[in-house]
Amino acid sequence: MRIIVHKAKCQGHARCSAQAPDVFKLDDEGYILPGDIEVAEGEQRLASRGARSCPERALELDRTPAARG
Amino acid sequence: MAINPVPDHVPSEMVRDFSLFTSPGMAPTPNGDPHAAVACVHAGPPIFYSPCNTRGGRGTWVITRARDQRRVLQDTETFSSHRSIFSSALGENWPMIPLELDPPAHGVFRSLLNPLLSPKRVMVLEPAVRERAITLIDRIAASGTSCDVMKDFAFPFTVSIFLRLLGLPDHRLDTFVGWAKDLLHGDDVKRPAAARTIVAFIDELATKRRKEPVDDFMTFIVQAQVGGRRLTEEEVRGIGVLVFVAGLDTVAAAIGFGLAYLARNLKDQELLRREPDRIMLAAEELLRAYPTVQIIRVATKDIDFEGAPIRKGDYVSCATMIANRDPAEFECPNTVDLAREENRHAAFGYGPHRCLGSHLARREIVIGLEEWLARIPAFRIKKATAPITSGGHVFGLENLILDWS
Ligand code: HEM
Ligand code: SF4
Repeated sequence: MRIIVHKAKCQGHARCSAQAPDVFKLDDEGYILPGDIEVAEGEQRLASRGARSCPERALELDRTPAARG
Repeated sequence: MAINPVPDHVPSEMVRDFSLFTSPGMAPTPNGDPHAAVACVHAGPPIFYSPCNTRGGRGTWVITRARDQRRVLQDTETFSSHRSIFSSALGENWPMIPLELDPPAHGVFRSLLNPLLSPKRVMVLEPAVRERAITLIDRIAASGTSCDVMKDFAFPFTVSIFLRLLGLPDHRLDTFVGWAKDLLHGDDVKRPAAARTIVAFIDELATKRRKEPVDDFMTFIVQAQVGGRRLTEEEVRGIGVLVFVAGLDTVAAAIGFGLAYLARNLKDQELLRREPDRIMLAAEELLRAYPTVQIIRVATKDIDFEGAPIRKGDYVSCATMIANRDPAEFECPNTVDLAREENRHAAFGYGPHRCLGSHLARREIVIGLEEWLARIPAFRIKKATAPITSGGHVFGLENLILDWS
């Protein structure tokens, strides 16, 4: 699974990293680091919960086969 | 309150008799529930015009859907924050920073301030916050089986954390609580007087820190650089005043509304006391159900929004208490479900002005609830007393007398 990060939409609510700090890394101001995130096998549940916690809809779950592979 | 006439471009069928100031349940009300009172708007259209929806009696468009509020608050080019609310009450014209600036200037100051209240920084502040909560609650527990949560805990707690943030000693606590009360809830004489006092205080503190720097918020601000220059006096004041007004009443009200809910719902109270791990999630749900801030924007150009002819200069209201009760966004929005997951509520706003203090506020609320529940046994609203709620720009709770005898 992959998480597409729409960095421009991130406003630093930090709800993603409150759910899954190891998946969602924030910069010193508290905003998400740029770049899409490849989620490891064991972290998928927490990661998708984190992505669905974003008030700005900055995090998009990509479950296409390519992303899974 | 002076009511401005409805502007000609607003179609009469879009005008509704609704106001966060004057609708039923908005005036100070014993045992009121102003949040439930505004939740009725979702049965109606996504946008309507309220002829009197600010303290000064101005009309605003009201956005009722959370999705549309996101659109408005993320689109700072069309919907500006530039207003000078605080200084105009003094007959002056300077912005509170970063609240009343638009991008790109907003981003410059926001980046400067973000590290001071980032999630990382708040982790460093946490022990001091917890220590304050414990001291205050221990004193309450030792002195009886009843107290006024607002006066004895919520206000002193939030004000003392603010003082610590600014690097000021606690003995000034009562003075500050008084200023904050007058500013937020005083009459037309007390409010500007308090505003002037606060401005003078911030100016004086800035001067002091310029001369004798220490390791605190204000020293950081007076030494900071934006675009290769120091901040002006007006900019320093704009930041100082905003931190003062933004972080006191809001956190105190959130703690008050949360404890009022728990006092009336003993099962939920007992669950959180028995399983404190649930408090973090529960605090989000309490913020969703009982948010406090009405956000206002000014249209920078003519735009048709969901069929409404918004014209340049019109005020647009995005009330967080309305977004948070939107059934399109939250299942059973009027039910408090302390285990609600993926709770993308709007209590701290959306878009670039997302509450700078949100990480600190969240810690204060969670720590406040944790330490209260750990130290005070089963509590209820004291018999023959009634918490007085009010609507307005910031929803509030005047008193909350709890009893655990
Ligand atoms: C539960 C408590 C709080 C609530 C509900 C709250 C709510 C909000 C909301 C809705 C906004 C957005 C306003 C807008 O978009 O026009 C905001 C902005 C802001 N808040 Fe808070 N707030 C809280 C606590 C705090 C605290 C503790 C601080 C400071 C330590 C703080 C500082 C600020 C600042 C500086 C802004 C302006 C940010 C900007 O314009 O970029 N707030 N707050
Ligand atoms: S929850 Fe969304 S807005 Fe907040 S830090 Fe994460 S990505 Fe950014």
